[in-house]
Amino acid sequence: MRASQFTFDPNRCTGCEACVVACWMEHRERQSRPWRAVHTFNAFGHPDLPVFHLSLACHHCESPACLEHCPAEAYTKDAATGAVTVHADRCMGCRYCTWACPHDAPKFDPGQGAIEKCTLCPERLAQGLEPACVARCPMEALGLAPLAADRPRAGVAGLPESATAPAIHIAPLRRPAPPALGQRPPASALGAFLPALLAVPHPKITLRGEWTLLLFTTVLGVLAAWLGAAQLGGPPLRPWAFLASGALVMGLSTAHLGRPARAWRALRHLRRSWLSREVAAVSAFLGLGALSGFAVPALGPAAALTGFLALFAVDRLYRVAFRTGPWNLHSAHTVFNGLYLLGLLAGISPLAWGLGLAKAGLYLHRKRHAAALSRPVRPWLALPRLGLGILAPLLLAASHPMAAAVCAVLGDLLDRGEFYGELEVPTPQLDLVAAMRRGIHEAGTS
Amino acid sequence: MAVHTTACPRNCYSTCALRVTVEHGRITAIDPHEGNRATSEGPCLKGLSYLERVYSPERILHPLRRTATGGFERVSWDAALDLIAERLLTARREHGPQSVFYYTGSGTKGLLNGCGMAFWRRFGGCTTTYGDLCWPAGLEATRLTFGDNRQSAPWDIAEARLIVLWGKNASETNLHQMRFVHQALEQGATLVVIDPRRTPTADRAHLLLQPRPGTDGALALGLAHLLIEAGQVDHAFIRDHVLGFEAYAALVKAWTPARTAETCGVPEGQIRELAELMGKVAPMSLCAGFGMQRYTNAGQAMRAIQALLPLTGNLGKPGAGWVYANLATQIFGPVKDPLDFYPPERPDGVVRVSVSTARLGADMAAQQEPPLKVGWVERGNPACQNPETPAVLRALRALDFLVVVDERLTDTAREAHLILPSKSLFEQTDVIGAYWHAYLQLRQKVVEPPGEVWPETEVYRALGQRLGMTSDDLAFLPAPGDAGVEAWLAARLAPHSITLDQLREGPVLAPGAEPVAFADLRFTTPSGKVELFSEEASARWGVESLPDHHPPVEGGPDGRYPLHLLTPNTKNGIHSQFLPLQVIRQLMPGPSLEMGPEDALARGLGDGDRVRVFNGRGALVLPLRIHLGLRPGVVVACNGFGAEDGGSVNLLSAGRETDLGHGAAFHDNLVDVARA
Repeated sequence: MRASQFTFDPNRCTGCEACVVACWMEHRERQSRPWRAVHTFNAFGHPDLPVFHLSLACHHCESPACLEHCPAEAYTKDAATGAVTVHADRCMGCRYCTWACPHDAPKFDPGQGAIEKCTLCPERLAQGLEPACVARCPMEALGLAPLAADRPRAGVAGLPESATAPAIHIAPLRRPAPPALGQRPPASALGAFLPALLAVPHPKITLRGEWTLLLFTTVLGVLAAWLGAAQLGGPPLRPWAFLASGALVMGLSTAHLGRPARAWRALRHLRRSWLSREVAAVSAFLGLGALSGFAVPALGPAAALTGFLALFAVDRLYRVAFRTGPWNLHSAHTVFNGLYLLGLLAGISPLAWGLGLAKAGLYLHRKRHAAALSRPVRPWLALPRLGLGILAPLLLAASHPMAAAVCAVLGDLLDRGEFYGELEVPTPQLDLVAAMRRGIHEAGTS
Repeated sequence: MAVHTTACPRNCYSTCALRVTVEHGRITAIDPHEGNRATSEGPCLKGLSYLERVYSPERILHPLRRTATGGFERVSWDAALDLIAERLLTARREHGPQSVFYYTGSGTKGLLNGCGMAFWRRFGGCTTTYGDLCWPAGLEATRLTFGDNRQSAPWDIAEARLIVLWGKNASETNLHQMRFVHQALEQGATLVVIDPRRTPTADRAHLLLQPRPGTDGALALGLAHLLIEAGQVDHAFIRDHVLGFEAYAALVKAWTPARTAETCGVPEGQIRELAELMGKVAPMSLCAGFGMQRYTNAGQAMRAIQALLPLTGNLGKPGAGWVYANLATQIFGPVKDPLDFYPPERPDGVVRVSVSTARLGADMAAQQEPPLKVGWVERGNPACQNPETPAVLRALRALDFLVVVDERLTDTAREAHLILPSKSLFEQTDVIGAYWHAYLQLRQKVVEPPGEVWPETEVYRALGQRLGMTSDDLAFLPAPGDAGVEAWLAARLAPHSITLDQLREGPVLAPGAEPVAFADLRFTTPSGKVELFSEEASARWGVESLPDHHPPVEGGPDGRYPLHLLTPNTKNGIHSQFLPLQVIRQLMPGPSLEMGPEDALARGLGDGDRVRVFNGRGALVLPLRIHLGLRPGVVVACNGFGAEDGGSVNLLSAGRETDLGHGAAFHDNLVDVARA
């Protein structure tokens, strides 16, 4: 059996969604939500753009991001067929793959607490049959072909730019123009509705959905800074408070899992997954920290270092989802927050001032960038963020280090809250919206 | 594990052949059947969704009787049949058999459906409907113009160089036709779509004309004007095969491009562009949909559109012709549609055919001597799908006793005093025809009916016995059991030299199926020619012999109600079927109203707002969806959703017939929209 790729011809697809139902028919006993989706480009009929459909599921990528980032090694790739499989019995339900995959293939099944996704129908392939969606596409739009190296990847709307090498060939539109229309709404009528029509209905990551992660990363930063400061003459560590906070942190991150009982699997993929590394670093930090607090003070510096390594891992793992910034740096990155707090608590003025000013600069730059992209700027947040979170701590640091630290944490909390709102995972849907925006813009300028 | 050949019997163009896998008495998979060349790649999502529908917990599996509090309670078949028999006997004794109203919809195809009317005749008679909700104006127009409803095989459209889909959104309603349209496009053909909406079908087209609803006839006359003016007509064809060309040419002289553009609200340039294509590109297949012939002027409009084919000589050749309805499989009765659903010229005194399907509510209420007392509804959901829902509900509620046979609790079933469970397509064998392709197919029994579901033939037998009918009286029914049904079907197939074994293998083309319709250029009209001028049209329907354009009854904004409401089908349902299924709901959560940006801006409405759609007949609250490609002055809400989703679109439609064929003029429907 040779490695395969899906083929899809948008010229033939009518958007009937038989493929979605065919997939359900094949996998209905274990499918909690559709694994395949039909996306419509320009569903609302902008006069300058064509309307077409894309039927997309898992592309069984050559370099699958899900597999690379999964901390639990729940994914495998079949060398013969190329199928990327998630093994529900190995999945701990952290959902990190739903962030990492730019093609929106992994789906979280809350009932099982685990990920499910397109399997490429290995049982059918083994019988010489096509996958269910291909076999039951009434329009011959979906197909399965031997993997072709020359398949077009860049510039195909619906295939976000990525390094995953998706195994799919989407045929170009025969007529990339809309039909010749006899009328178009006046610009005022178009303009009145376009923003709402181009809005992304359900962002994948929201602060509301991820508040436990906000708490987790904030507490972790505080603990690392505190422990570090204690080594450098700052306020001494209170072992019981450290332990309680550490337990809270571990509890939050475990409760976040769909299958907490499999949390141990998070350490399986240290080789490639930043999430694995984060879990390892956080565990080591809390362990060493507690040990240093209760029994072996000499372990303090090592514990603090591990804490900052954990923060680095945290920031690193969010990179799959943080793509909106100008330099991929955020004023609420946990390493920055931690070092800033360390400077304040330990009374290291240059560190505090350096980080504080750098964070303020990053913050302002990001806001300008957001304004340029017509994204929410929230100027009313700027005052508490900069005043409470940066200016006040820097002024208070010398006289009231604890008050300064509290102000800094509150300010960073606001910033990091925004950070979660800004996390944006590329998806086919977003890519199509971006392509629509580009198309409308090009039509407007030509 | 067994794999069976069967077919989907819905009221749908495609009528797909299916392969059904059964394991341990349960259906586990539905797959394509290549034996039907028109649908060889498999059914649409609805055909696949049977896997849920057949085993749905919502399915009715035993008789249900209305309780005093308005709910339903399970009763035994004995109790149900006793109750029905008692009510039928009382009605017959006190008011005569015609006080029983027998209503059937298009819910499922099959020869065994005919057993129902045979039963009521044996009962002594009944009252029933004439006309049809779906396609009569077009059928009658076709019959008047060409003599008969014939069309080329579905795949012939792939040979066309110019395809005009006029008022047809095949991507949603005849998916499988698009496969052949795409084949034509891959060969370089040109596609033109004419539709007030920018449908998914329109987006495969080169040119989209968006006429004002109800002005299609004018557009056709304007096109003919340009073709004749430019001399782009087939004079030899006209001379030999067309009746009334001179008169038609004189008529269209008045339909100048400017007047046509003004009437239709289509730019003159687009009309000229289409005329140019029609004059220069051949062969042309002209395929009309059903929605466009649901106006009070639609029959004449269809005749005007049909005229474009003989004018350009596009008949009887591969890739050319009129694509509307294929009645090749109607071989089991003496007359075909549309004649067989007209009221009989000489009533037989047994069955009173006096209720227009289009005016169901009003006509039911108007029946006298006798008035209607008992109703029996099967294969239909008139409380949702017939025009003017309020009138239909009033008429149903005025009955002393209503029996509804259905798979689920439809709006109509909720009105019943007694609900009987109906079989699914997999639970009794039958032979079904089609109306787009010409295949006869076996809709095979592949599983036993679940619960206490009985096929209707067995219900009629048991009921007949209670009414005192002897086995001789009931000889019109198949003998009990599967063998009886098969013998009954075999006897009906035998005159056509088709066997059940053949059909078990796969679909069989009906005798007389034509690869290319009218290849012999023989037209069964009174003149033997294509009739642009039809005396029969005037004599039978009181319309002009030439198909001039006149606005429909609700032709334009009347001041109070400025918007045309179109109520098309969605790909996700067949009328009110399939839409409640979960597998469908996850793709289409519910109904909505589509509106163009100008109309929304004028009303201060935005995407997602809840809006009230209303006219003098009723109102409906729906979420608004902005579609930038919809013609101003038009709003769209798909039909099929019922009371559970806020009400049927037919709360707004009028019980009105089309000009030809006793169809329902659903789209003569002006409304306004405001924030709810």
